[in-house]
Amino acid sequence: MKPISEMSAGELAAYVASHLKGRGIEVVLSGGACVTIWSEGRYVSADVDLIGGGMTPRLSLRKALAEIGFVEQGRQFVHQDARFFVDCPSGPVALGREAPKEIRTMQFATGSLRLLSPTDCVKDRLLAWYHWQDRQSLEQAALVAERNPVDLDELGEWSKREGKAGAFEEIKGRLSPSR
Amino acid sequence: MLEGILGSTSAERVLVFLRSRGEGYPREMARFFATSLRPIQNQLEHLEAAGVLWSRLVGRTRLYAFNPRYPFLRELEALLDKALSFYPESDRGALLMNRRRPRRAGKPHEAD
Repeated sequence: MKPISEMSAGELAAYVASHLKGRGIEVVLSGGACVTIWSEGRYVSADVDLIGGGMTPRLSLRKALAEIGFVEQGRQFVHQDARFFVDCPSGPVALGREAPKEIRTMQFATGSLRLLSPTDCVKDRLLAWYHWQDRQSLEQAALVAERNPVDLDELGEWSKREGKAGAFEEIKGRLSPSR
Repeated sequence: MLEGILGSTSAERVLVFLRSRGEGYPREMARFFATSLRPIQNQLEHLEAAGVLWSRLVGRTRLYAFNPRYPFLRELEALLDKALSFYPESDRGALLMNRRRPRRAGKPHEAD
């Protein structure tokens, strides 16, 4: 297998997720590394957010990750050779008040990875735009939508359920294929 | 009131404080509840790590608020509102009444 120092964000995520699965811990990739994958590397995140179901004790996670050389530093897990940090935020995986509509599975040479679909990845980024006006997140959402089919109707309905129908109307042009 | 399910009095204090005022910093909360700073800070850090709260630095002060992305925020707020409705009127009033309007620099603090 590829040395850990040469793994891309996706490969590292798949490697770690597969190891955790072998220890009975199922995780889903969310956050910036998901954007890295769906934008085909046009945005590169420094960390890999792997979220579990919320029932895994931190101690079990710490022990399982230590087996492959990751050490907890603050809230992140660091490997001396890896180019990315691994973060395991508290679960569940959520997009505002809702669970993801669809979890995709992607195969890498390093393992199998469960991750948000492009539409859910866009939702994840839009939340930061809606609540904190984080322009980088809006740009990332646009990068994902540029390279993948996303369900604009679903994004509109979801935004409405989040109380952000007006905000969605303002930015939906950034996500449409005809822009 | 909620410490039985939250597992700590400090957690309840932090949550009702933030529900009442929208945001707050650790020393302000500790002063309000006349308690020591450390347990309040511990709870704030714990709740932030769990995704319930988020924080930002304003100058040298860390301000905490509910994380709008927390999936159970609406339900948590409903629970806190219910708990607050059982608080004595005086406590509820004290939590809700705090000065937010600006104070001119150098003006004495006693006349709130």
